[in-house]
Amino acid sequence: VRCQHYPPLRALQASAVLRRASDEHKKEPLASSSQQHFDSPPAGYQPEQEPQGPRPSYTGQGGQESEDYESEEQLQHRILTAALEFVPEHGWTAEAIAEGAKTLGLSVAAAGMFHSDGSELILHFVSECNAKLSELLEKEQKLVQLGEAEKKPIDKFLRDAVEARLRMLIPYIEKWPQALSVLLLPRNIPSSLSLLTSMIDDIWHYAGDQSTDFNWYTRRAVLTGIYNTTELVMMQDSSPGFEDTWRFLENRVADAMTMSNTASQVQSTGEAVVQGLMGAAVTVSNAETSRAVR
Amino acid sequence: LPAGGASLRLCSSRAAQEGINRPVIDRIIRVDHAGEYGANRIYAGQMAVLGRSSVGPIIQQMWNQEKDHLKKFNELMVAYRVRPTVLLPFWNIAGFVLGAGSALLGKKSAMACTVAVEESISEHYNNQIRTLIEEDPEKYKELLQVIKQFRDDEQEHHDIGLEHDAEATPAYSVLKTAIQLGCKAAIFLSERI
Repeated sequence: VRCQHYPPLRALQASAVLRRASDEHKKEPLASSSQQHFDSPPAGYQPEQEPQGPRPSYTGQGGQESEDYESEEQLQHRILTAALEFVPEHGWTAEAIAEGAKTLGLSVAAAGMFHSDGSELILHFVSECNAKLSELLEKEQKLVQLGEAEKKPIDKFLRDAVEARLRMLIPYIEKWPQALSVLLLPRNIPSSLSLLTSMIDDIWHYAGDQSTDFNWYTRRAVLTGIYNTTELVMMQDSSPGFEDTWRFLENRVADAMTMSNTASQVQSTGEAVVQGLMGAAVTVSNAETSRAVR
Repeated sequence: LPAGGASLRLCSSRAAQEGINRPVIDRIIRVDHAGEYGANRIYAGQMAVLGRSSVGPIIQQMWNQEKDHLKKFNELMVAYRVRPTVLLPFWNIAGFVLGAGSALLGKKSAMACTVAVEESISEHYNNQIRTLIEEDPEKYKELLQVIKQFRDDEQEHHDIGLEHDAEATPAYSVLKTAIQLGCKAAIFLSERI
Protein backbone atom coordinates (compact mmCIF):
# COMPACT_ATOMS: atom_id res chain seq x y z
CA VAL A 1 0.00 0.00 0.00
CA ARG A 2 1.45 3.27 -0.98
CA CYS A 3 1.39 5.72 1.89
CA GLN A 4 1.62 9.44 1.93
CA HIS A 5 3.91 10.93 4.51
CA TYR A 6 3.32 14.05 6.49
CA PRO A 7 5.86 16.09 8.40
CA PRO A 8 6.60 14.63 11.82
CA LEU A 9 5.13 16.10 14.91
CA ARG A 10 7.33 17.58 17.52
CA ALA A 11 5.27 16.16 20.31
CA LEU A 12 7.38 13.30 21.51
CA GLN A 13 7.38 15.23 24.75
CA ALA A 14 3.62 14.93 24.86
CA SER A 15 3.65 11.22 24.36
CA ALA A 16 6.33 10.80 26.99
CA VAL A 17 4.30 12.76 29.49
CA LEU A 18 1.13 10.90 28.81
CA ARG A 19 2.91 7.61 29.13
CA ARG A 20 4.08 8.63 32.54
CA ALA A 21 0.59 9.62 33.50
CA SER A 22 -1.04 6.42 32.40
CA ASP A 23 -1.33 3.57 34.80
CA GLU A 24 -1.00 0.36 33.02
CA HIS A 25 0.40 0.68 29.62
CA LYS A 26 2.60 -1.27 27.31
CA LYS A 27 6.27 -1.58 27.59
CA GLU A 28 7.21 0.72 24.70
CA PRO A 29 10.38 2.66 24.96
CA LEU A 30 10.50 6.17 23.60
CA ALA A 31 9.90 5.84 19.91
CA SER A 32 13.07 6.59 18.08
CA SER A 33 11.94 5.58 14.66
CA SER A 34 10.57 9.00 13.85
CA GLN A 35 12.95 11.64 12.70
CA GLN A 36 13.68 13.16 16.07
CA HIS A 37 15.66 11.58 18.82
CA PHE A 38 15.97 12.35 22.47
CA ASP A 39 19.41 12.43 23.90
CA SER A 40 18.02 11.87 27.35
CA PRO A 41 14.48 11.38 28.51
CA PRO A 42 12.61 14.45 29.76
CA ALA A 43 13.02 15.21 33.41
CA GLY A 44 11.02 13.07 35.70
CA TYR A 45 10.31 10.38 33.21
CA GLN A 46 10.48 6.97 34.73
CA PRO A 47 10.22 3.94 32.57
CA GLU A 48 7.65 1.70 34.11
CA GLN A 49 9.23 -1.50 33.11
CA GLU A 50 12.71 -2.44 32.17
CA PRO A 51 13.93 -0.09 29.46
CA GLN A 52 13.88 -1.83 26.15
CA GLY A 53 16.06 -0.22 23.60
CA PRO A 54 17.04 -2.19 20.55
CA ARG A 55 18.45 -5.44 21.80
CA PRO A 56 21.79 -6.55 20.55
CA SER A 57 21.27 -9.33 18.12
CA TYR A 58 23.52 -11.90 19.65
CA THR A 59 20.48 -13.51 21.12
CA GLY A 60 19.66 -14.52 17.58
CA GLN A 61 16.06 -13.42 17.96
CA GLY A 62 16.32 -10.45 15.70
CA GLY A 63 12.60 -10.26 15.05
CA GLN A 64 11.75 -9.57 18.65
CA GLU A 65 12.94 -6.05 18.95
CA SER A 66 10.72 -4.55 16.27
CA GLU A 67 7.61 -6.05 17.80
CA ASP A 68 8.08 -4.26 21.10
CA TYR A 69 8.69 -1.00 19.35
CA GLU A 70 5.81 1.24 18.58
CA SER A 71 6.46 4.28 16.49
CA GLU A 72 4.78 7.56 17.14
CA GLU A 73 2.74 7.12 14.00
CA GLN A 74 1.45 3.75 15.05
CA LEU A 75 0.46 5.16 18.40
CA GLN A 76 -1.41 8.00 16.77
CA HIS A 77 -3.15 5.56 14.44
CA ARG A 78 -4.27 3.50 17.40
CA ILE A 79 -5.59 6.51 19.26
CA LEU A 80 -7.51 7.79 16.25
CA THR A 81 -8.98 4.41 15.49
CA ALA A 82 -10.11 4.11 19.07
CA ALA A 83 -11.53 7.64 18.91
CA LEU A 84 -13.83 6.78 16.02
CA GLU A 85 -16.26 4.96 18.25
CA PHE A 86 -16.89 8.18 20.18
CA VAL A 87 -17.51 10.31 17.12
CA PRO A 88 -21.26 9.72 16.85
CA GLU A 89 -21.56 11.13 20.36
CA HIS A 90 -18.90 13.85 20.49
CA GLY A 91 -18.43 14.69 16.83
CA TRP A 92 -15.04 15.02 15.17
CA THR A 93 -13.49 16.78 18.11
CA ALA A 94 -10.73 16.63 20.63
CA GLU A 95 -13.23 15.12 23.06
CA ALA A 96 -13.67 12.08 20.89
CA ILE A 97 -9.90 11.73 20.63
CA ALA A 98 -9.54 12.10 24.39
CA GLU A 99 -12.14 9.39 24.97
CA GLY A 100 -10.35 7.17 22.50
CA ALA A 101 -7.07 7.70 24.28
CA LYS A 102 -8.73 6.80 27.57
CA THR A 103 -9.90 3.45 26.23
CA LEU A 104 -6.30 2.67 25.36
CA GLY A 105 -5.27 3.47 28.89
CA LEU A 106 -3.59 6.69 27.93
CA SER A 107 -4.05 10.12 29.39
CA VAL A 108 -6.63 12.48 27.88
CA ALA A 109 -3.73 14.84 27.27
CA ALA A 110 -3.03 12.65 24.25
CA ALA A 111 -5.61 14.71 22.41
CA GLY A 112 -3.12 17.55 22.57
CA MET A 113 -1.09 15.77 19.91
CA PHE A 114 -3.74 16.64 17.39
CA HIS A 115 -5.44 19.69 16.02
CA SER A 116 -8.50 20.79 17.95
CA ASP A 117 -10.72 20.77 14.86
CA GLY A 118 -10.39 17.03 14.43
CA SER A 119 -8.62 17.26 11.05
CA GLU A 120 -6.36 14.31 11.63
CA LEU A 121 -9.21 12.21 12.93
CA ILE A 122 -11.27 12.87 9.81
CA LEU A 123 -8.37 12.35 7.43
CA HIS A 124 -7.51 9.15 9.25
CA PHE A 125 -11.09 7.97 8.88
CA VAL A 126 -11.19 8.79 5.17
CA SER A 127 -7.91 7.03 4.63
CA GLU A 128 -9.13 3.93 6.46
CA CYS A 129 -12.34 3.88 4.43
CA ASN A 130 -10.38 4.13 1.21
CA ALA A 131 -8.15 1.27 2.29
CA LYS A 132 -11.21 -0.85 3.10
CA LEU A 133 -12.69 -0.05 -0.29
CA SER A 134 -9.49 -1.10 -2.03
CA GLU A 135 -9.43 -4.37 -0.13
CA LEU A 136 -13.02 -5.01 -1.06
CA LEU A 137 -12.43 -4.28 -4.75
CA GLU A 138 -9.26 -6.40 -4.72
CA LYS A 139 -11.18 -9.34 -3.24
CA GLU A 140 -13.94 -9.01 -5.82
CA GLN A 141 -11.40 -8.86 -8.59
CA LYS A 142 -9.76 -12.06 -7.36
CA LEU A 143 -13.14 -13.80 -7.37
CA VAL A 144 -13.71 -12.76 -10.96
CA GLN A 145 -10.23 -13.91 -11.93
CA LEU A 146 -10.82 -17.29 -10.33
CA GLY A 147 -14.04 -17.55 -12.27
CA GLU A 148 -16.14 -17.66 -9.14
CA ALA A 149 -18.01 -14.48 -9.95
CA GLU A 150 -19.33 -12.75 -13.02
CA LYS A 151 -17.57 -9.67 -14.29
CA LYS A 152 -19.90 -6.75 -13.68
CA PRO A 153 -20.78 -4.30 -16.45
CA ILE A 154 -19.11 -0.95 -15.89
CA ASP A 155 -22.16 0.97 -14.72
CA LYS A 156 -23.04 -1.64 -12.11
CA PHE A 157 -19.43 -1.82 -10.99
CA LEU A 158 -19.18 1.93 -10.47
CA ARG A 159 -22.54 2.03 -8.71
CA ASP A 160 -21.60 -0.75 -6.33
CA ALA A 161 -18.17 0.69 -5.58
CA VAL A 162 -19.51 4.18 -4.80
CA GLU A 163 -22.35 2.71 -2.76
CA ALA A 164 -19.98 0.51 -0.76
CA ARG A 165 -17.76 3.47 -0.03
CA LEU A 166 -20.62 5.76 0.96
CA ARG A 167 -22.15 3.13 3.20
CA MET A 168 -19.06 3.38 5.38
CA LEU A 169 -20.28 6.84 6.34
CA ILE A 170 -23.58 5.63 7.70
CA PRO A 171 -22.54 5.19 11.34
CA TYR A 172 -21.17 8.75 11.32
CA ILE A 173 -23.73 10.34 9.06
CA GLU A 174 -25.02 12.80 11.65
CA LYS A 175 -21.61 14.37 12.10
CA TRP A 176 -20.42 13.97 8.53
CA PRO A 177 -21.42 17.47 7.34
CA GLN A 178 -19.08 18.84 10.01
CA ALA A 179 -16.33 16.59 8.71
CA LEU A 180 -16.88 17.76 5.15
CA SER A 181 -16.48 21.37 6.15
CA VAL A 182 -13.24 20.57 8.00
CA LEU A 183 -11.93 18.72 4.95
CA LEU A 184 -12.49 21.87 2.93
CA LEU A 185 -10.28 24.01 5.15
CA PRO A 186 -7.38 25.34 3.08
CA ARG A 187 -4.94 23.59 5.36
CA ASN A 188 -6.53 20.23 4.68
CA ILE A 189 -7.31 20.57 1.02
CA PRO A 190 -4.08 19.03 -0.33
CA SER A 191 -4.57 15.92 1.81
CA SER A 192 -8.31 15.56 1.30
CA LEU A 193 -8.01 16.16 -2.44
CA SER A 194 -5.24 13.63 -2.70
CA LEU A 195 -7.25 11.02 -0.79
CA LEU A 196 -10.26 11.68 -3.01
CA THR A 197 -8.31 11.40 -6.26
CA SER A 198 -6.55 8.22 -5.26
CA MET A 199 -9.87 6.64 -4.25
CA ILE A 200 -11.44 7.53 -7.59
CA ASP A 201 -8.36 6.29 -9.41
CA ASP A 202 -8.60 3.02 -7.51
CA ILE A 203 -12.24 2.52 -8.47
CA TRP A 204 -11.46 3.09 -12.13
CA HIS A 205 -8.44 0.82 -11.95
CA TYR A 206 -10.53 -2.06 -10.64
CA ALA A 207 -13.29 -1.21 -13.11
CA GLY A 208 -10.74 -2.05 -15.78
CA ASP A 209 -9.97 1.40 -17.11
CA GLN A 210 -6.93 1.28 -19.37
CA SER A 211 -7.13 4.69 -20.98
CA THR A 212 -3.87 6.45 -21.66
CA ASP A 213 -5.24 9.55 -23.34
CA PHE A 214 -7.38 12.43 -22.19
CA ASN A 215 -10.15 9.99 -21.34
CA TRP A 216 -8.15 9.20 -18.23
CA TYR A 217 -9.00 12.66 -16.95
CA THR A 218 -12.55 12.78 -18.26
CA ARG A 219 -13.51 9.52 -16.59
CA ARG A 220 -12.04 10.46 -13.27
CA ALA A 221 -13.60 13.91 -13.35
CA VAL A 222 -17.02 12.44 -14.10
CA LEU A 223 -16.78 9.83 -11.36
CA THR A 224 -15.58 12.45 -8.85
CA GLY A 225 -18.63 14.52 -9.71
CA ILE A 226 -20.90 11.53 -9.24
CA TYR A 227 -19.31 10.65 -5.92
CA ASN A 228 -19.42 14.17 -4.50
CA THR A 229 -22.99 14.89 -5.50
CA THR A 230 -24.18 11.53 -4.20
CA GLU A 231 -22.40 12.18 -0.92
CA LEU A 232 -24.21 15.51 -0.58
CA VAL A 233 -27.56 13.93 -1.41
CA MET A 234 -26.87 11.35 1.26
CA MET A 235 -26.43 14.07 3.87
CA GLN A 236 -29.96 15.26 3.19
CA ASP A 237 -31.51 11.86 2.72
CA SER A 238 -34.01 10.64 5.27
CA SER A 239 -35.53 7.78 3.32
CA PRO A 240 -35.36 4.26 4.78
CA GLY A 241 -32.03 2.63 4.01
CA PHE A 242 -30.98 5.69 2.01
CA GLU A 243 -32.85 4.33 -1.00
CA ASP A 244 -33.26 7.83 -2.44
CA THR A 245 -29.50 8.20 -2.46
CA TRP A 246 -28.92 4.90 -4.24
CA ARG A 247 -31.54 5.76 -6.81
CA PHE A 248 -29.86 9.15 -7.37
CA LEU A 249 -26.55 7.36 -7.77
CA GLU A 250 -28.02 4.94 -10.31
CA ASN A 251 -29.41 7.82 -12.35
CA ARG A 252 -26.14 9.76 -12.33
CA VAL A 253 -24.14 6.74 -13.43
CA ALA A 254 -26.68 6.06 -16.19
CA ASP A 255 -26.37 9.70 -17.29
CA ALA A 256 -22.61 9.35 -17.48
CA MET A 257 -22.89 6.20 -19.59
CA THR A 258 -25.33 7.91 -21.94
CA MET A 259 -23.06 10.91 -22.25
CA SER A 260 -20.10 8.77 -23.19
CA ASN A 261 -22.14 6.79 -25.71
CA THR A 262 -23.45 9.97 -27.24
CA ALA A 263 -19.96 11.40 -27.41
CA SER A 264 -18.61 8.42 -29.32
CA GLN A 265 -21.63 8.43 -31.62
CA VAL A 266 -21.10 12.09 -32.39
CA GLN A 267 -17.47 11.38 -33.12
CA SER A 268 -18.16 8.51 -35.54
CA THR A 269 -20.90 10.51 -37.26
CA GLY A 270 -18.52 13.40 -37.62
CA GLU A 271 -15.85 11.18 -39.12
CA ALA A 272 -18.34 9.66 -41.55
CA VAL A 273 -19.49 13.11 -42.64
CA VAL A 274 -15.93 14.24 -43.24
CA GLN A 275 -15.21 11.16 -45.32
CA GLY A 276 -18.35 11.76 -47.31
CA LEU A 277 -17.33 15.33 -48.03
CA MET A 278 -13.82 14.28 -49.05
CA GLY A 279 -15.29 11.68 -51.39
CA ALA A 280 -17.58 14.29 -52.90
CA ALA A 281 -14.66 16.70 -53.39
CA VAL A 282 -12.57 14.05 -55.14
CA THR A 283 -15.48 13.10 -57.38
CA VAL A 284 -16.10 16.71 -58.36
CA SER A 285 -12.44 17.36 -59.06
CA ASN A 286 -12.23 14.21 -61.19
CA ALA A 287 -15.31 15.26 -63.09
CA GLU A 288 -13.82 18.70 -63.74
CA THR A 289 -10.52 17.22 -64.89
CA SER A 290 -12.17 14.79 -67.30
CA ARG A 291 -14.37 17.63 -68.66
CA ALA A 292 -11.31 19.86 -69.11
CA VAL A 293 -9.49 17.08 -70.95
CA ARG A 294 -12.40 16.71 -73.37
CA LEU B 1 1.77 21.39 24.45
CA PRO B 2 2.49 22.09 20.87
CA ALA B 3 -0.14 20.78 18.51
CA GLY B 4 1.86 20.84 15.36
CA GLY B 5 0.94 19.53 11.96
CA ALA B 6 -0.28 16.01 11.55
CA SER B 7 2.42 13.43 11.53
CA LEU B 8 0.12 10.73 10.31
CA ARG B 9 0.93 8.61 7.38
CA LEU B 10 -2.30 8.44 5.47
CA CYS B 11 -2.09 5.40 3.27
CA SER B 12 -3.61 5.91 -0.10
CA SER B 13 -4.74 2.74 -1.67
CA ARG B 14 -2.55 2.63 -4.75
CA ALA B 15 -1.63 -0.82 -5.86
CA ALA B 16 1.34 -2.09 -3.94
CA GLN B 17 4.43 -2.03 -6.06
CA GLU B 18 6.88 -2.65 -3.34
CA GLY B 19 10.01 -0.61 -3.22
CA ILE B 20 9.48 1.28 -6.47
CA ASN B 21 10.48 4.90 -6.35
CA ARG B 22 7.01 6.06 -7.36
CA PRO B 23 7.67 9.72 -8.14
CA VAL B 24 10.67 8.93 -10.33
CA ILE B 25 8.99 6.13 -12.26
CA ASP B 26 5.81 8.18 -12.64
CA ARG B 27 7.70 11.01 -14.28
CA ILE B 28 9.76 8.75 -16.49
CA ILE B 29 6.79 6.89 -17.89
CA ARG B 30 4.63 9.97 -18.22
CA VAL B 31 7.20 11.99 -20.13
CA ASP B 32 8.27 9.07 -22.31
CA HIS B 33 4.67 8.33 -23.18
CA ALA B 34 4.14 11.97 -24.08
CA GLY B 35 7.34 11.95 -26.14
CA GLU B 36 6.40 8.92 -28.18
CA TYR B 37 2.91 10.32 -28.65
CA GLY B 38 4.38 13.58 -29.90
CA ALA B 39 6.86 11.78 -32.17
CA ASN B 40 3.97 9.84 -33.68
CA ARG B 41 2.16 13.06 -34.48
CA ILE B 42 5.28 14.65 -35.93
CA TYR B 43 5.75 11.78 -38.36
CA ALA B 44 2.04 11.83 -39.16
CA GLY B 45 2.38 15.49 -40.09
CA GLN B 46 5.42 14.80 -42.22
CA MET B 47 3.67 11.93 -43.99
CA ALA B 48 0.64 14.10 -44.69
CA VAL B 49 2.86 16.39 -46.75
CA LEU B 50 5.66 14.17 -47.99
CA GLY B 51 3.87 10.83 -48.02
CA ARG B 52 3.98 10.52 -51.80
CA SER B 53 7.47 11.86 -52.27
CA SER B 54 10.72 9.95 -52.47
CA VAL B 55 11.28 10.08 -48.71
CA GLY B 56 7.77 8.83 -48.02
CA PRO B 57 8.74 5.21 -47.45
CA ILE B 58 11.58 6.06 -45.09
CA ILE B 59 9.39 8.36 -43.00
CA GLN B 60 6.69 5.69 -42.93
CA GLN B 61 9.19 3.17 -41.66
CA MET B 62 10.35 5.48 -38.86
CA TRP B 63 6.73 6.26 -38.05
CA ASN B 64 5.93 2.56 -37.70
CA GLN B 65 8.72 2.18 -35.17
CA GLU B 66 7.37 5.12 -33.18
CA LYS B 67 3.95 3.51 -33.20
CA ASP B 68 5.48 0.43 -31.62
CA HIS B 69 7.20 2.59 -29.02
CA LEU B 70 3.92 4.28 -28.16
CA LYS B 71 2.19 0.93 -27.84
CA LYS B 72 4.85 -0.22 -25.39
CA PHE B 73 4.50 2.88 -23.26
CA ASN B 74 0.73 2.54 -23.23
CA GLU B 75 1.23 -0.90 -21.72
CA LEU B 76 3.76 0.34 -19.18
CA MET B 77 1.49 3.22 -18.25
CA VAL B 78 -1.35 0.85 -17.41
CA ALA B 79 0.95 -1.59 -15.62
CA TYR B 80 2.48 1.07 -13.38
CA ARG B 81 -0.78 3.02 -13.06
CA VAL B 82 0.79 6.24 -14.21
CA ARG B 83 -1.24 9.30 -15.06
CA PRO B 84 -0.83 10.57 -18.63
CA THR B 85 0.13 14.20 -19.07
CA VAL B 86 -2.79 16.57 -19.27
CA LEU B 87 -1.08 18.27 -22.22
CA LEU B 88 -1.70 15.35 -24.57
CA PRO B 89 -4.30 17.14 -26.72
CA PHE B 90 -1.84 19.99 -27.07
CA TRP B 91 1.03 17.71 -28.11
CA ASN B 92 -1.39 16.12 -30.57
CA ILE B 93 -1.78 19.37 -32.46
CA ALA B 94 1.69 20.79 -31.85
CA GLY B 95 3.36 17.61 -33.05
CA PHE B 96 1.32 17.46 -36.22
CA VAL B 97 1.93 21.13 -36.95
CA LEU B 98 5.66 20.73 -36.40
CA GLY B 99 5.83 17.72 -38.69
CA ALA B 100 3.69 19.22 -41.41
CA GLY B 101 5.37 22.61 -41.10
CA SER B 102 8.87 21.24 -41.39
CA ALA B 103 7.78 19.06 -44.32
CA LEU B 104 6.26 22.04 -46.14
CA LEU B 105 9.68 23.70 -45.98
CA GLY B 106 11.07 20.78 -47.95
CA LYS B 107 12.36 17.26 -47.67
CA LYS B 108 15.66 18.37 -46.14
CA SER B 109 13.84 20.43 -43.52
CA ALA B 110 11.73 17.46 -42.60
CA MET B 111 14.90 15.46 -42.12
CA ALA B 112 16.42 18.31 -40.11
CA CYS B 113 13.36 18.28 -37.85
CA THR B 114 13.78 14.54 -37.42
CA VAL B 115 17.46 14.97 -36.56
CA ALA B 116 16.72 17.68 -34.00
CA VAL B 117 13.90 15.77 -32.29
CA GLU B 118 15.67 12.43 -32.26
CA GLU B 119 18.81 13.98 -30.85
CA SER B 120 16.80 15.53 -28.01
CA ILE B 121 15.03 12.29 -27.34
CA SER B 122 18.23 10.24 -27.33
CA GLU B 123 19.83 12.61 -24.85
CA HIS B 124 16.69 12.50 -22.72
CA TYR B 125 16.61 8.70 -22.73
CA ASN B 126 20.27 8.62 -21.78
CA ASN B 127 19.53 10.82 -18.78
CA GLN B 128 16.78 8.50 -17.72
CA ILE B 129 19.00 5.46 -18.11
CA ARG B 130 21.55 7.13 -15.88
CA THR B 131 18.90 7.96 -13.28
CA LEU B 132 17.57 4.42 -13.20
CA ILE B 133 21.02 2.90 -12.99
CA GLU B 134 21.84 5.20 -10.09
CA GLU B 135 18.62 4.13 -8.37
CA ASP B 136 18.77 0.37 -8.74
CA PRO B 137 19.61 -1.38 -12.00
CA GLU B 138 18.24 -4.70 -10.79
CA LYS B 139 14.86 -3.46 -9.70
CA TYR B 140 14.26 -1.53 -12.91
CA LYS B 141 15.80 -4.06 -15.26
CA GLU B 142 12.81 -4.39 -17.57
CA LEU B 143 12.26 -0.66 -17.82
CA LEU B 144 15.97 -0.09 -18.46
CA GLN B 145 15.93 -2.63 -21.25
CA VAL B 146 12.99 -0.93 -22.90
CA ILE B 147 14.49 2.54 -22.65
CA LYS B 148 17.87 1.37 -23.93
CA GLN B 149 16.25 -0.30 -26.92
CA PHE B 150 14.20 2.77 -27.71
CA ARG B 151 17.20 5.03 -27.33
CA ASP B 152 19.02 2.93 -29.91
CA ASP B 153 16.04 3.18 -32.26
CA GLU B 154 15.88 6.94 -31.89
CA GLN B 155 19.60 7.19 -32.49
CA GLU B 156 19.08 5.22 -35.70
CA HIS B 157 16.37 7.65 -36.81
CA HIS B 158 18.75 10.49 -36.09
CA ASP B 159 21.38 8.90 -38.30
CA ILE B 160 18.87 8.27 -41.08
CA GLY B 161 17.94 11.93 -40.95
CA LEU B 162 21.58 12.92 -41.33
CA GLU B 163 22.02 10.50 -44.23
CA HIS B 164 19.18 12.23 -46.05
CA ASP B 165 20.88 15.61 -46.18
CA ALA B 166 19.36 17.14 -43.08
CA GLU B 167 22.41 19.34 -42.61
CA ALA B 168 22.03 20.80 -46.08
CA THR B 169 18.86 22.56 -44.99
CA PRO B 170 18.99 26.32 -45.21
CA ALA B 171 19.13 27.77 -41.66
CA TYR B 172 19.81 24.30 -40.32
CA SER B 173 21.32 25.38 -37.03
CA VAL B 174 18.55 27.91 -36.35
CA LEU B 175 15.86 25.35 -37.10
CA LYS B 176 17.60 22.70 -35.04
CA THR B 177 18.11 24.95 -32.02
CA ALA B 178 14.53 26.16 -32.09
CA ILE B 179 13.13 22.64 -32.28
CA GLN B 180 15.41 21.37 -29.53
CA LEU B 181 14.38 24.22 -27.24
CA GLY B 182 10.77 23.27 -27.87
CA CYS B 183 11.59 19.66 -27.02
CA LYS B 184 13.24 20.67 -23.76
CA ALA B 185 10.19 22.70 -22.79
CA ALA B 186 7.88 19.84 -23.73
CA ILE B 187 9.90 17.41 -21.62
CA PHE B 188 9.92 19.77 -18.65
CA LEU B 189 6.18 20.30 -18.76
CA SER B 190 5.17 16.71 -19.46
CA GLU B 191 7.16 15.45 -16.50
CA ARG B 192 5.22 17.69 -14.19
CA ILE B 193 1.79 18.28 -15.59
